[in-house]
Amino acid sequence: MSEYWSEIVSFLSSEKLWAVTRAFIVVIIGLVTAKLASSGISRVASKKIDTHRAMVLKRGSYYLILILFLITALHQLGFNLSVLLGAAGIFSVAIGFASQTSASNLISGLFLVAERPFTVGDTIRVGTTMGEVLSIDPLSVKLRTYDNLFVRIPNESLIKSEVTTVSRFPIRRADLLVGVAYKEDLKKVRAVLEEVADKNPLSLEEPKPRYIFQGFGDSSLDIQFSVWAKRENFLDLKNSIYEEIKIAFDEQGIEIPFPHRTLYTGSVTEPFPIKNTDNEPSDNT
Amino acid sequence: MATEFDKPPHWWGSFTLPHEQSLQWRIGPLTLIVHCLEGERHIGHQRTADFDSDDSTWEFQLADQLPETLENSSRYIFSKMVKRLTLTPRLADRPIISRPRVPFNLTAGEEVTLYVSLPLWLELALETSPVTVLEEIPIQRPSDTWFGPSTLEGELCYASSTHCRINLAELPQRVHRAITPVLIRNRADTTLTVERLNLPAPLLSVFAGADGQLWTPKVTLIRGKDGDMAELKIDDKAPVQAESPELLSQPRNTANTGVLIRAFNAVFS
Repeated sequence: MSEYWSEIVSFLSSEKLWAVTRAFIVVIIGLVTAKLASSGISRVASKKIDTHRAMVLKRGSYYLILILFLITALHQLGFNLSVLLGAAGIFSVAIGFASQTSASNLISGLFLVAERPFTVGDTIRVGTTMGEVLSIDPLSVKLRTYDNLFVRIPNESLIKSEVTTVSRFPIRRADLLVGVAYKEDLKKVRAVLEEVADKNPLSLEEPKPRYIFQGFGDSSLDIQFSVWAKRENFLDLKNSIYEEIKIAFDEQGIEIPFPHRTLYTGSVTEPFPIKNTDNEPSDNT
Repeated sequence: MATEFDKPPHWWGSFTLPHEQSLQWRIGPLTLIVHCLEGERHIGHQRTADFDSDDSTWEFQLADQLPETLENSSRYIFSKMVKRLTLTPRLADRPIISRPRVPFNLTAGEEVTLYVSLPLWLELALETSPVTVLEEIPIQRPSDTWFGPSTLEGELCYASSTHCRINLAELPQRVHRAITPVLIRNRADTTLTVERLNLPAPLLSVFAGADGQLWTPKVTLIRGKDGDMAELKIDDKAPVQAESPELLSQPRNTANTGVLIRAFNAVFS
């Protein structure tokens, strides 16, 4: 017991304690400095650059300052940094093999930051998931979907797959699919559609709405009518213009057919016999 | 139940808010109602006619009851009731793309003054210090449009089709639109075909003439000698055509006034 006590006393009276204290103080100062400096840099930079870049700059400056202070602290403790860096190299190879997925995500994250296909606040679609980007982190991108779910997508899958940035450009095109009956006059249908688009204030006058005849469908003449809208008004336009098309078609007597089947017994056969009766069908059948 | 009331000289200006009654305006296609109750105000509006309506009349009345259906209604609650309300005509917050119904050509060295009418917004504000703006309502809601060389480059604007008349007397007098005299000068060696004109509405102020017609300052568009650049100049006073003009509203954006040099395709198309 007295041996331990004498060791503690000698440790306390030695240079080592002072070195440990200094290292500890350096780490504390480092943490505070990194926090303050990164917040300050981000605040100044956010006035000039976008949210995403400001966030990357904030994190980068935080870790850089912290690493510098940690190295200084290790130096205070008497570590030989060249040996430590060599050991870290071997260690990182081992870690790299062990955590291939994480490393791959990390590297993909770097490419995502460099390429900037989207930024924080953009709306993106990845596969069937669509949502607003909450953050772009080293390993993953976090989304908030429109049904308010939190989705984490690994960076690797973003690099590998097709990503659509919906909010990149200020205007968008809505492709409206309209079917009219075979008996209708297509010139009249086109004129009615163009008038509806002209009257809707959300539908952009330029680029002009586009009328594309898609072909002879099973039950209808299929038309694609494409109208442009300000990105924020996209859904409002889609909802309002379909309603207006229906009203205009009803007013003009243009039929929107539902899928129907004609039973035909062939050219050589007689038509199906139909018997007209006044009797109500019995409930017992 | 409407009450007899002295009709004010114009639809804009300062109005006293009554107690437990409503002020009702019909300005061209817009019906605006401000209903006053104890501690609160209800503001509602609805549009009845198409955008290109030439209905140029306006009416004002004091009524005891609100109409049964009122679209776009909003309710404001106040602890201190302000008795005065101001209605101010303002121009759009985006440029207006005026499309002549028939595109016209201007040969080399020619110049012309056109009269273009621009849609107006009305600003409802309480006369507090500083003024409390409650709402801004377009009298006619113009269609959105895109002005630029491609769908990637350009800016969102409002569209307005116009006859681009060269004779002022032919222009219909409409209380809900302001007239802008536009002088176009073609200094280039080639013919200028004008299909669309980009008029910087946020840089224009609104004046009222003695006859009640609303005006904006004259806009001068000069196509440069090389044909690639256009000079845009906005007068800082009312046009000479306006009789004893009175300034009603300042431009929304005063930072970019003066002579502006823009790419040709940013002004004409």
